[in-house]
Amino acid sequence: MSNPEVTSTHSAGAPASNKALTIGLAGIAVTLLGLVLSPVHIVATSWLVGIAYWCAIAIGFLLLTLIHHIFDAQWSTVLRRQFEHALSAFKWLALLFLPLLLITWFGAKDTIWPWMNPAHLLEGEGKTVANDMVYAKKSAFLNLNAFTIFSVLFFVVWIWISSRLRKASFTQDKDGNASWTKMNRMTAGFGIPLVALTLTFAAVYWLKSLEYHWFSTMYGVWYFANCMRGAYSCTILIMVWLYNRGDFKGILHSDHWHSVGKMMFAFTVFWGYISFSQYFLIWNANVPEETFWYNLREYGDWWGIGMVLVFGHFLLPFLLLLSYSRKVNKAPIRRIALWILGVIFIDMCWNILPAVKDAAGNPLPFFSLGLLWALTSTIGIGGICVWSYLKSFPTTKLIPIHDPRITESLTFHE
Amino acid sequence: MAEHPYGLIARFNTPGDLYHAAEKVRDAGYKNWDCLTPMPIHGLDTAMGVKRSIVPRFSLTGGITGFCTGMSMIWWMNAYDYKIIVGGKPLFSPLFAFPVSYELTILFTAFATIGGMFFLNGLTQLYHPVLKYDKIHRATDDSFFIVIETSDPRFNADNTRALLAEAGGLEIAELEA
Amino acid sequence: MSHASEHSAPAILNEVKATSLPRAKMVDNDRDFAWITDKICGIVEGKTPSWWWWCFAVACFMACFTVAGITYVVATGVGVWGHRSPVNWSWPIVNFVFWIGIGHAGTLISAILCLLRQKWRTSINRAAEAMTIFAVVCAGIFPVFHVGRVWYAWFLFPIPNYNNIWPQFRSPLEWDVFAVSTYGTVSVLFWYVGLLPDLATLRDRFALAGRETRAKIYGFFALGWRSSARAWSNYEMAYLILAGIATPLVLSVHTIVSFDFAVSLIPGWHTTIFPPYFVAGAIFSGFGMVLTLMLPLRAIYKLEDLITQYHIDCMCKITLATGTMVGYAYAMEFFIAWYSGNPYEGFTFINRAFGPYAWAYWIMISCNVITPQFFWFKAVRNNTTFVWVLSLFVNLGMWFERFVIICTSLTRDFLPSSWGYLSPTVIDIFTFFGTFGVFSVLFLLFIRFLPLMAMAEIKGVTPQADAFNGHKNPHA
Repeated sequence: MSNPEVTSTHSAGAPASNKALTIGLAGIAVTLLGLVLSPVHIVATSWLVGIAYWCAIAIGFLLLTLIHHIFDAQWSTVLRRQFEHALSAFKWLALLFLPLLLITWFGAKDTIWPWMNPAHLLEGEGKTVANDMVYAKKSAFLNLNAFTIFSVLFFVVWIWISSRLRKASFTQDKDGNASWTKMNRMTAGFGIPLVALTLTFAAVYWLKSLEYHWFSTMYGVWYFANCMRGAYSCTILIMVWLYNRGDFKGILHSDHWHSVGKMMFAFTVFWGYISFSQYFLIWNANVPEETFWYNLREYGDWWGIGMVLVFGHFLLPFLLLLSYSRKVNKAPIRRIALWILGVIFIDMCWNILPAVKDAAGNPLPFFSLGLLWALTSTIGIGGICVWSYLKSFPTTKLIPIHDPRITESLTFHE
Repeated sequence: MAEHPYGLIARFNTPGDLYHAAEKVRDAGYKNWDCLTPMPIHGLDTAMGVKRSIVPRFSLTGGITGFCTGMSMIWWMNAYDYKIIVGGKPLFSPLFAFPVSYELTILFTAFATIGGMFFLNGLTQLYHPVLKYDKIHRATDDSFFIVIETSDPRFNADNTRALLAEAGGLEIAELEA
Repeated sequence: MSHASEHSAPAILNEVKATSLPRAKMVDNDRDFAWITDKICGIVEGKTPSWWWWCFAVACFMACFTVAGITYVVATGVGVWGHRSPVNWSWPIVNFVFWIGIGHAGTLISAILCLLRQKWRTSINRAAEAMTIFAVVCAGIFPVFHVGRVWYAWFLFPIPNYNNIWPQFRSPLEWDVFAVSTYGTVSVLFWYVGLLPDLATLRDRFALAGRETRAKIYGFFALGWRSSARAWSNYEMAYLILAGIATPLVLSVHTIVSFDFAVSLIPGWHTTIFPPYFVAGAIFSGFGMVLTLMLPLRAIYKLEDLITQYHIDCMCKITLATGTMVGYAYAMEFFIAWYSGNPYEGFTFINRAFGPYAWAYWIMISCNVITPQFFWFKAVRNNTTFVWVLSLFVNLGMWFERFVIICTSLTRDFLPSSWGYLSPTVIDIFTFFGTFGVFSVLFLLFIRFLPLMAMAEIKGVTPQADAFNGHKNPHA
């Protein structure tokens, strides 16, 4: 007997998805407007912030799904369907990545990544990329053809794995065949190393090569940490939204919230550990060829932003997520999730925006127009991703009704 | 019959039986009673009306003490009392002081957690009336017990025994003090 | 329409019908609690088997090498370890990192798998924690005795001394002191807290059997544990918190060990991925050792119902996963060595693969990258003997990994006068091989006198221990 309070999953999605699409398109439009107000390279680098941000979240959802399968997890089955809906965003992200490729192929090659143009004069150094021996040594990797091929490859891999996972899960709703679960486990087996490598090289190509003199073996792991944090925070927002709508009432209980909260805590600690290790090792050895990257990020107002990351991206969520009651009550955990999503944005800015420099080789300040375009890009791309999720949402059941672990997940208690 | 018995003890065969019996004892308003189980049973705390353990408060105190001890100790020793310049590093930096402070945080948290748990459980209580019961070895093996102490205000030799029997308790016996 | 609840169950729940894909049972053959108690206590209560005496004799003999070696070092001086060039220090350092790494699997099994709610950990965590403690003992021998004048080793601690000098906290070696001490202490405490309920079981059984002395000894260490539910409530919370702090502890200990190398400038050492790479490698080697120890014990004591094929499967998969992470780290190191354009970094990596230590490098690659790939195949995982042989290769490979990292960087560092080829002395070699004897002595004593599995925890993960049997949702 259906309860009139429970809204159908098929109807309430429509106005929400239109809202998301509008916000998305508006954000993109304002960013395009930015091309009139700011130089192309500032707007383009800010667009990269948005791409890096939302790719991180999408990759995080991909990894959450893969990890769920490889662990044969118990509690997360009720949530997994929402992860799978989020994976639909990859094709749009691929499309939204195109402007970056188009600008570099058809516009000024060094709009975003300086090494793409051999004639680019390195700020503050007085020599061009072509005469830079450090570039020559990595030119086999850092060239526009390789960049393009690999970037396309990354999206192909992510879209392919996502579609395998989605198809298996959605089809299992219809035929209840256990072999779909086995297929998912196999996908997870080879998928996790593949996603690990692609996200690492995406971070190297798209983010680390902005400052191509710099190198760090930890960089891919840093990006992974933000991927997971972003995905878990979005999971909380989805859980709150669906619970308040009534869909998840009677399905989610305190132990589910607690589990997600604990993972958020764990990855907060993990992010802190990774970022600290990277910084500390470079600080301690004090070798100029490595420390300059951090020195750039201590110039002007960037030092303050670094402190915001230390205290806001690590310490505050760490302390807040220690408490049990904050993890199981919707209002506080939602605030924490929103906060973390905010500081991930600042982390991406901190990693990417200092690549935009003035003639003396100093990064433009954080509080400049570049930040505005980064915000509008992130909102724009985000709107499209959320729209993609909302479009995928009504196409299937709310939870994987024939998954072997669904009953365990529903009755799960710690 | 003992002069001043410690309490009544009843045995149960399965965790499910124990759970339902515990709910009955809790609802009857008893306060000085306990369950004995060979392993922790999920949900039994709720059935007994026991609140969430406060061990975490000890842990947090220990952790904060450890961290502050570490940082201040290192500052005092390397940047104040006997300053040595090493490798051009600053005399004190939270960065290099972090590993040791972190370890002390964990060490003190561990001590506080275990100390707090021992304190709350009254451990190192090598004598306890319940350990004299001749079937008590089943409590660490495969059986479940409920013990209701005579010191409980609601204790009544006949009513309590009846409650335990009605709740499904087997071999209800008196414990000598 | 009743207002009994502000929401009734969503309609979707009526459509839920889980496909059947049963989970593996934690205890095979539906053994009950009494069987579990009898099985594990039986090992402690029974007569010492003759194979135990033989193994103990051999282990003591091997341990004598370490004792003799250490005595000789302290009496004569650390020069007997051949420490006349930096590369010769590799031997004790490699052995220290090797043993500490092995210990980490124990904490992973106890702590991290507890946080991840992996029930299968309950059959192996007690032995794995014991393995951790004994591995830390073996590891500690090397840094303590390599200082030379061991009677001054207390200078490492921030204790006032007559020179009025304090330890220097900018040194990773000082961080090691705190890290390893904390790790040893917390591991022992975690292990002991876990033992309390089982010591109580043994106390009660010995008392019942009339063996008063034993009952009193075990009773003393059981601290009067009487299985009270209220006590369990605090105990479980404490256990969870200990698991929660042991996890960052194990991560930090091997991170700090990796800092010994990574904070320096030496090519091949100074790379930012060392912390998680070392941790993954430690867990990898530790699981190798757990498999090496538990598979024979399982066969000897007929523990197949408690350490099931599922348990072995899980251990193999974790070995595979951590081995793959180590492989990722190798790839990243190599890639960035090239990408950085730093000629010294580049040379170091070519030198590793094709220089004087190439033999060690290729042993490392085949043991660490290739060997775990066998665990993809169910047929391999089901063959216990083959798994055991592979676990030996894992241990070997991880010893060689530390050897390759440390030696190849020290053998060609920035000062040509420091270059050399590692030649461990006889004392070096015997001291190291003796530590396997020390470990074995301690482990054999453990399995003889203490319950080698966590009885209370195993009972807790059997279906009979569930008050609800999975039907009722207590929080709906």
